[in-house]
Amino acid sequence: MRELRSELTRLNRRGIWLGWLGLMAVFAVLINTVIYTIAANGSAPPGGGPGVAFPSVATLESSSGIVAGVSSAASMFGVITLSFWAIATASDYSTGLIRLLAAAQPHRWRLLLGKIGALLIWTALATTVAVVVNLAAALPSAEAAGISTELWMDDLASEIARAWLTSFSASVVWGIIGLVLALLSRSAAIAISVGIGWVLLIETIIKTASSEAGQWLPGTTLTALAQGGTDDLTFAAAILIGCIYAAVGLIIGLVIFIRRPITE
Amino acid sequence: MLTSFIETDASAASITTDGLLRQFGSLTALDRVTVTLPRGGVVGLLGPNGSGKSTLIRILLGLIPSTSGQATVLGHPTTKPARYAGDVGALIEAPSFVPGLSARKNLLSLARLRGLPATRVAEVIRIVGLEGRENESVRRFSLGMKQRLGIAAALLPDPALLILDEPTNGLDPAGIVEIRQLLKTLAAEGRTVVVSSHLLAEIQAACDYLVIIRFGELMFSGPMGELLDKAGARIEVAPEHPADVDRLRVALAAAGWSLEDDSLVVHGSAADAGALNRAAHEAGITLSRLTPIDESLEDVFLKMTAAPTRDPVAASQGARKKAATNA
Repeated sequence: MRELRSELTRLNRRGIWLGWLGLMAVFAVLINTVIYTIAANGSAPPGGGPGVAFPSVATLESSSGIVAGVSSAASMFGVITLSFWAIATASDYSTGLIRLLAAAQPHRWRLLLGKIGALLIWTALATTVAVVVNLAAALPSAEAAGISTELWMDDLASEIARAWLTSFSASVVWGIIGLVLALLSRSAAIAISVGIGWVLLIETIIKTASSEAGQWLPGTTLTALAQGGTDDLTFAAAILIGCIYAAVGLIIGLVIFIRRPITE
Repeated sequence: MLTSFIETDASAASITTDGLLRQFGSLTALDRVTVTLPRGGVVGLLGPNGSGKSTLIRILLGLIPSTSGQATVLGHPTTKPARYAGDVGALIEAPSFVPGLSARKNLLSLARLRGLPATRVAEVIRIVGLEGRENESVRRFSLGMKQRLGIAAALLPDPALLILDEPTNGLDPAGIVEIRQLLKTLAAEGRTVVVSSHLLAEIQAACDYLVIIRFGELMFSGPMGELLDKAGARIEVAPEHPADVDRLRVALAAAGWSLEDDSLVVHGSAADAGALNRAAHEAGITLSRLTPIDESLEDVFLKMTAAPTRDPVAASQGARKKAATNA
C-alpha cells in the first residue's frame, strides 16, 4: 500500500494528466470523426492491419454503435497506454530515482506491484475518459453523417460497461507489454518505438505472410479483445491469449526487476 | 600498501566488510576490501574517480550484490537490506527526482514509500534550508538546490546511518560550510555519517575517520589524525651554521633518522623534536630551526593514490595477476 501511494504521488503531475488523458480524449474524438465520415461516404470498411477495425454502417446503427469508437480505437488507446506505462517505468531509471526507491524499499517486488497498481488506476481513469469523450462525440458525429441512432438507447448501460471493460482489459495488457519493454531497455523511447514498430510493421508483415499465425499476435489479439471478439478470434480466445500475454509479461518483468543489479 | 591502523570493535561497527570483491566483467571494481567503520561520527570515503567508492556504497545499500565476501550494515548482512533500510538514508551519486514534480511532492512520495507522515517532509525541508522553495518544480532547481533536496531525502527516515555521495557538489561556499555544519550536528546526535567526496579540504574539515580506496583496493582505514601523523609527519631542521649542513645530515642518518633526499627534512612527528635536538647536540651541532611540517590531507592523499597507471582496468589486471601469483 505504501508503494502504491508513493507511485500515485509521482504520477500525479501535469504531464501525465494532460498527456495521457488528453491523448485519450483527442483520439476518442478523432476516431469518431473518422469512422462516421467513412460510413457517410459509403465506402467499405477497410480491412487489414492490426488495430485497424472500422465498423460497418449496420454496426454503427446497432445498439453498440454508440461505443463503436471505443472498440475501433482500441489499438490507439493501447499504444497510448503502452507509452505511459513505459514512461512511468523507464523514467525511474533515466532519472536515477530507482536507486532511492530500491534503497528505501529493498523488497523490489513490492515496488513493482505498487507501480502496476498505480498504473492500473490510471489506466482505468484514462479508459473512463476515452469512453465518456466517445459518448459525447458519437452523437454529433452520427448526426452529421446521417447515421441512425434509434437503437442506441437500447442496453445503453450494458454496452457502455462492456466497452469500458473490454477496452480497459486490452489496455492493461498493452501497458504490461510497455512495462516489460521499459524494464528490458530502461529507456522509454526504445520501449515505445519497439511497441509501436511491432504493431505497425512487424505484426503487419507476419500477418501478411501467415494470416493463421497473425491471429495470435498481441496487436490482433488485443484488438479482438477490445471489440468483444472478431470473426477470426472469439472473445473467449482473445481473453485467454490476452491473459497469457499479461501473465508472461508480469513474470518476465518481476524477474528482471528483482534480480537485475541497479547500476544506473 | 597501508593498512588499517586501528582495530575497531566489530560489534560497535556501523559498517563492516570482509574480503568484499565486486567484478564487472573483466573489471575488478572492489578488490577484497576488509574494513570496519565505527558507529557515530563523520566517516570520509576518499578515492580517485573510478576507485570503487560508488560500487561500495551500492553494495552497502543492497542495490548490487558482491561477487564474493561479506558486508554488514548496522549489524545486518547486506544480503538482507530490508532489515536496515529503515535506519539508513542515502544520497547516491547525483540527486535523483521526478523533474516535473515539486520538491515537496518528490519528498512526499519517498516519505509515503517509507511509511512516514507528511509532517516529516516539512521538517527535512527546514533542516536543509529549502523553506519557501518547496513548491517549485525540481526542473527549475539549481544543482546546489538539488543537492539540498537529495540530503533532505536522505534525512527523511531520521537515519542512524547516513551515506552521502558528494553532498557538497554544486553548493556555493556558504552552502558548503552550512552542509559541513549540518553533518557535524547529525554526527553529534549519535548518527554515523559516511561522506564520499573529492573535496579533500572538506573531508579534512568534517571527518573524524577516513577510508581511502584506490582502484578497488583499500589504501587506508582509520582516524584522520592518525593518517596525517603516521603517513605524512615531517620535521624540518636547520643548523645554526650553514657549514654544518652535511655533518648534520650524516649525524641524523647515523642516529637512525630517515631524511628526504638532499634536504634536512626528517620523517617524524612533533613528538620527535626533542630526540632530534639531542641527536644534533650529541654531534656538536646547534639547531637554529626545528619546525614540524603539517601535511594536508591533500598532500597525503595524492602521495597514497599516486600510481604508475591511472587506468583502473590495467590496475585491476595487475591485482589479478598478483592474486594468481599468491595463489
